Amino acid sequence: MSLGKLIERLLQLVPVLLGVSVIAFLMMALTPGDPVQIIIGDQQITAEQEAALRHDLGLDRSIPERFAIFLGNAVTGDFGESFYHRRPVSEVIAERLPATIELSLVALLIALATSIPLGVLAAIRKNSIFDRIATVGSLLGVSLPGFWFGILLLMLFAVNLHILPVAGRIGYSSEIEPITHFLLIDTLLRGRPDAFLDALSHILLPALTLGLPMTAILMRVTRTSMLEVLRQDYVTFAEAKGLSRRRVLFRHALKNALIPTVSVAAIETGSLLGGNMIVETVFGWPGLGRLVVESIFLRNYPLVQAAVLFYAVTYVLLNFFADILYTVLNPRVKL
Amino acid sequence: MKFLSRALLATTAVLLFAAPAVSASELTVGFTLDADTLDPANHRKRETETIIRNLYDGILTRDAEMNVVPEIAESFTQISPTVYEFKIRQGIKFHDGSDLTAEDVKFTLDRLTVEGAMGDGQTSPRKSLLGPLASTDVVDAYTIRINLFEPWPILPAQLPFQEVVSKAFVESVGTAGLATQVNGTGPFKLVEWRKGDSIIMERFADYYGGASDIAPVGPACVDRVIFKVIPESASRVAALLAGDVDIINELPAFSIGQVEANPDTTVMSVNGTRSFFVAMNLEGEYFDDIKVREALAHAIDKDLIIDRILGGYASRIEGILSPDAFGSSELPAYAYDPELAKQMLAEAGFPDGIDVTMDVEGAFKDTAEAIASLLTKAGIRTTVAVGEGAQLAEKWRTKGGPKSGDMFFTSWGNGSLDPFDIFIPTHRTADRGNSAGYANAELDAILDAASVELDVAKRAAMYHDAEMIVNHDLPYVYLWVPQDLYGVSTRVSGWQPSADSRINLHDACVN
Amino acid sequence: MTDATGTPPRAESIFRQNLRNFAFNRLAVASTVVVLIFIVMAIFAPLIAPHDPNETDLFRRLQPPAWQAGGEWSYLLGCDGLGRDILSRIIFGTRISIFIGAAVILVATTIGILAGLASGYLRGWVDVVISRLVDILLGFPYLIFAIGLMAMMGPGLVNIILALAYKEWVIPCRVVRGETLVTRELEYVEAARALGASKSHIMLKEILPNIMSPVIVVASIRMAHVIILEASLSFLGLGVQPPTASWGSMVADGRAFILDAWWVSTFPGLAILLLVLAINVASQGLRDAFDPRFHE
Repeated sequence: MSLGKLIERLLQLVPVLLGVSVIAFLMMALTPGDPVQIIIGDQQITAEQEAALRHDLGLDRSIPERFAIFLGNAVTGDFGESFYHRRPVSEVIAERLPATIELSLVALLIALATSIPLGVLAAIRKNSIFDRIATVGSLLGVSLPGFWFGILLLMLFAVNLHILPVAGRIGYSSEIEPITHFLLIDTLLRGRPDAFLDALSHILLPALTLGLPMTAILMRVTRTSMLEVLRQDYVTFAEAKGLSRRRVLFRHALKNALIPTVSVAAIETGSLLGGNMIVETVFGWPGLGRLVVESIFLRNYPLVQAAVLFYAVTYVLLNFFADILYTVLNPRVKL
Repeated sequence: MKFLSRALLATTAVLLFAAPAVSASELTVGFTLDADTLDPANHRKRETETIIRNLYDGILTRDAEMNVVPEIAESFTQISPTVYEFKIRQGIKFHDGSDLTAEDVKFTLDRLTVEGAMGDGQTSPRKSLLGPLASTDVVDAYTIRINLFEPWPILPAQLPFQEVVSKAFVESVGTAGLATQVNGTGPFKLVEWRKGDSIIMERFADYYGGASDIAPVGPACVDRVIFKVIPESASRVAALLAGDVDIINELPAFSIGQVEANPDTTVMSVNGTRSFFVAMNLEGEYFDDIKVREALAHAIDKDLIIDRILGGYASRIEGILSPDAFGSSELPAYAYDPELAKQMLAEAGFPDGIDVTMDVEGAFKDTAEAIASLLTKAGIRTTVAVGEGAQLAEKWRTKGGPKSGDMFFTSWGNGSLDPFDIFIPTHRTADRGNSAGYANAELDAILDAASVELDVAKRAAMYHDAEMIVNHDLPYVYLWVPQDLYGVSTRVSGWQPSADSRINLHDACVN
Repeated sequence: MTDATGTPPRAESIFRQNLRNFAFNRLAVASTVVVLIFIVMAIFAPLIAPHDPNETDLFRRLQPPAWQAGGEWSYLLGCDGLGRDILSRIIFGTRISIFIGAAVILVATTIGILAGLASGYLRGWVDVVISRLVDILLGFPYLIFAIGLMAMMGPGLVNIILALAYKEWVIPCRVVRGETLVTRELEYVEAARALGASKSHIMLKEILPNIMSPVIVVASIRMAHVIILEASLSFLGLGVQPPTASWGSMVADGRAFILDAWWVSTFPGLAILLLVLAINVASQGLRDAFDPRFHE
């Protein structure tokens, strides 16, 4: 695929991002509820002080003006100051981001590591008991409401059995100097296997809950595409040539079967980001999702706008990447 | 087999490390919210202040009985109606080892009250808490004078809400740095702030000792304090029961039984400072008639709700003030009598009852529904409408402007326990918290006079008169003041909850 | 979907054929029956429910299910925090889930079909605008968009339906657009064009009937998603107003009591699981029956 086409596709993303910014901005601006009133709460405040606060937050300007300022600053990476933290929004988001990304990545890993073998096995043993159970299992996986399932898991493992922790990312017996800000990696890099296990025990339940629907979907996709690949002529041909079935499977079939899996995974990762909110709330995970939900209710405009933009950019880039990946893996498909 | 034994090993390791590993004495608080910022002058949340208060001390503070006592100050006197003099203790050190002087106190107060003093032209959002504070003068190295624009008897009651910062430190790191870095005089210093997750503090060995009126005086008892953020109430209780945390705040009333039953935990309560009431739209079609309002008052079985939903941990109120507030007094009660309520409705011209809605914020949905069903049984058919805090505030707190809606189940906090902060906002004509739209010139006059009355006895009497008026006029149906409930591990000693929601861990020890 | 010569498929017989395929899938049929049971429950709720779902009784607060100590058989699944019968609330809650699910899908599919047809057939700037809009809406995480809209519009039944439909329509739109792009090149469409048929006639009368199968399949799959989404919104407190029972808000209400009154959250969650699972199995069966690629 030519560089020109690549750039063309990238440029097409710009109006999309612009549209997302407009919608995000308007949504917050048009939502009733005055952020200044929320910050003040019950406290006494004179009219001048209230005006000063409003001015400090930049809310005394008109909506178009505010949007222009927002956009102008956003291009340089300045997303304003959070109404509550009184620090740059980009800083606040950057602090909470690693937790969300780590959770999403672990969920993705679990999903891939479970769904691919299960899907392949289900395809090989089509219509067997295993296949049927796997099918029901995957249907269950997309039918379980995440918020309910997460609560049940938490109560079972953290409370009743007390094997896993109740909330947070890691315990306090360890101070880990951050390198990547991903605890699972940092603990290993710092040579602290005990801390690694601690972090693992904290991330296990939320990642399972988050990754479950994706596991179910990917399993189905893998099974279906594996079935299709196995029916292909070249498989029979390879078998005829005398290659062992196993070799055929893993050399030829699997590679091609995984193409749709990978593509769907890339697209669904976007929904992993979106599904974070509920899981983070239930498990007390200190990530971006929880922060965004709280911020919407607190009318913390700058933070919500920046976060939405971040999600949109990521999602759009993921889709873009998925498209490219699909083309690369499957040269017969033209962009 | 090898895999199995490795798996077993891993599982054991996880089990071992999931349990709290404490070598030095460590106290963990399961807390509802993370701090917004660690800058004492740049926030408006009680929870943020609670955390900050363990790292920074203030000029004055409150003890467990809510008495105002000197902390960084040694003593203070009122020189004139508008001037107070404070003597600052000597020998107080900041966490970085520097000494605290009057300059730091002046700097703190200026930073809080002067326009644009926060840098970048920003003003502290806490400025309004210091009302008519005009200026601060340094008399000598350990004495300051606070000058007010007008007499303000509650200045000492308001100073505990502010904490003293180091002038040199703020000048070097700026307001931006103060958000995440701490150099205070408090019993603990900051180790690490894991945003959204927890705040880790450790004992400050050179702590000057703290308020002399609050024993014991000296460095903190525990080595480390951790505020762990657990917003889910069920998870918080679970953490307490499991022994992962030692103190939790906002213990839900129905978990009391569980916490009491557990041999390692107990419930501690303290009288709260938030008055709950139902605001009635006095400009609406029903509630301009006092008979209808009285009917409402008779239709609510306060004792039942306090018993069933609040677990008995609340005090009835017949006026706006909580029983602990200055100026509260005995007031006539409206007995639960649904038949009388129906009768009064009929007298008011509504023999078939009325249909109304009650607005409420999501967090209090349950209580509002319980009230609504009681009202419905008395002929006041009520539907509950859950709204967002922001929208409801806009709808009801119109400062004298017209409003729609029938009833609003809401509350008003009174952290200073002084009527000034609650009576005026909720009852004075067109004031910021006057959700009912109550306008009574006679009451306004009494409240205004009481604000500046310096004679304590006279002031209390004025507030009694004021309460009698509103108890009779019923712009609100006054409900209750819930107690603040805490779940505490039995290994914690030396700590008591405080009515202002502070969790002061200076004297807390773990066994 | 069409055979190689490009002649219009004999829609009727293939449809009936696919229906027969569906009927052979016992699991799918069983699931459809389950869904129908839920629908019946929704319609006849006042007759089936043993108690008034909104009647509070503070003395029955957090009463355990019938088979536990302290329970009563007349309150089979126990009572919630305000003493309301959970079984009755679940039965009435079916109305909300099914109604909102169906309404959202209906609205979204209608808009999606119209937009997809226009975009796929008319091409040009219509296609560009609609495709951009689809991309923009897709760039928003579902929940954040819904939360934002709900905060903007306020809670309420109609608003939930709108909030969910606002993003949901892009999915049928994409499907319809894709199918339209393929179908418009076929000979019978060209024939209709040559005969002077108007654009709307071609879109609605020629193309649409032949692409309904994938649309129906996608709609049924998405129905399950929408029901979970509505439950998630209710869980976050943005759903229907109290005292109306929505399964999601019931789970949310019970969340606080989960340590010692587990039934308040568990049973409504099970209801969500059952209905959504049934819909998923049934729609899986639909897809297997209607999509020739999966005939094995």
